[in-house]
Amino acid sequence: MSKKVGFMLVNKEYTLDGIRSTLGLAVENMFSYAYVMYNELPELSDYHRENIDWVRDMEGEVYTTEDANVEKHGLTKITLEEIGKQLRDLDIIVPYGIMRSDKS
Amino acid sequence: MAKSLGIFVTSPQNMRHIMGICKAAKAKGSKVKVFFSWYSVHLTKCPNFLELSKLVDDISICVDSYKNAGYDPADIPPGLEAKKMATQAQHGEIIEDYECYLTL
Amino acid sequence: MKLLHVYRSEANDDVKKLVEIVSEGRECQSFNLNVESPDYDKLVDMVFTADQTICWW
Repeated sequence: MSKKVGFMLVNKEYTLDGIRSTLGLAVENMFSYAYVMYNELPELSDYHRENIDWVRDMEGEVYTTEDANVEKHGLTKITLEEIGKQLRDLDIIVPYGIMRSDKS
Repeated sequence: MAKSLGIFVTSPQNMRHIMGICKAAKAKGSKVKVFFSWYSVHLTKCPNFLELSKLVDDISICVDSYKNAGYDPADIPPGLEAKKMATQAQHGEIIEDYECYLTL
Repeated sequence: MKLLHVYRSEANDDVKKLVEIVSEGRECQSFNLNVESPDYDKLVDMVFTADQTICWW
């Protein structure tokens, strides 16, 4: 049975690569989800935009707590509580990289 | 009985933990694989990276991350085989083939 | 379901909230890596006996 994996992306220095890692497991036939928390994505290159599209094409999703990421990049809005509930159903949880120093 | 252990490394800050956990796991007879991605590839330049590569059963890095970090892929870190300059599929291997999973 | 929470640094409010939700109704243990000399031997034993380990930042 395909594993379910969630990447928690809390630091803007790590977020775009975390989405690349999310795609990396999606292509390995896993259900792969990214949670972009408390950081805004920069302007996206075609490469990064395609990564997000491919994650979705492979039954994954890129969620975010930030309205700006929903408005600018079409990510799917989620709250911290909803993330917690989703994490309960995952086989692997990946707190990615290092924690941001603050919420800015 | 010792289980197999896969470690996915994404932080450049945890070399002492990686060494400590790998030494403890190997002392218990565990099979250990470590995969380095994104900024964690800077850890390949730590003086004890060679010791780590000899200690564990399988060690690999994300070659795209290595390039992004400014390193030349022809400059293969000590203890690594060229084929271990690899892709995110290594992460998938950790999840599928190892009983226990850690992110550092 | 036996869950192990490993902390690489001091947990902030967001992490505490997620841990609370994920842990509800489950048997949980925790291990703090953010100390001078972590007992790695003990940690590995805990990882081997857990069904799932989450290494928070």
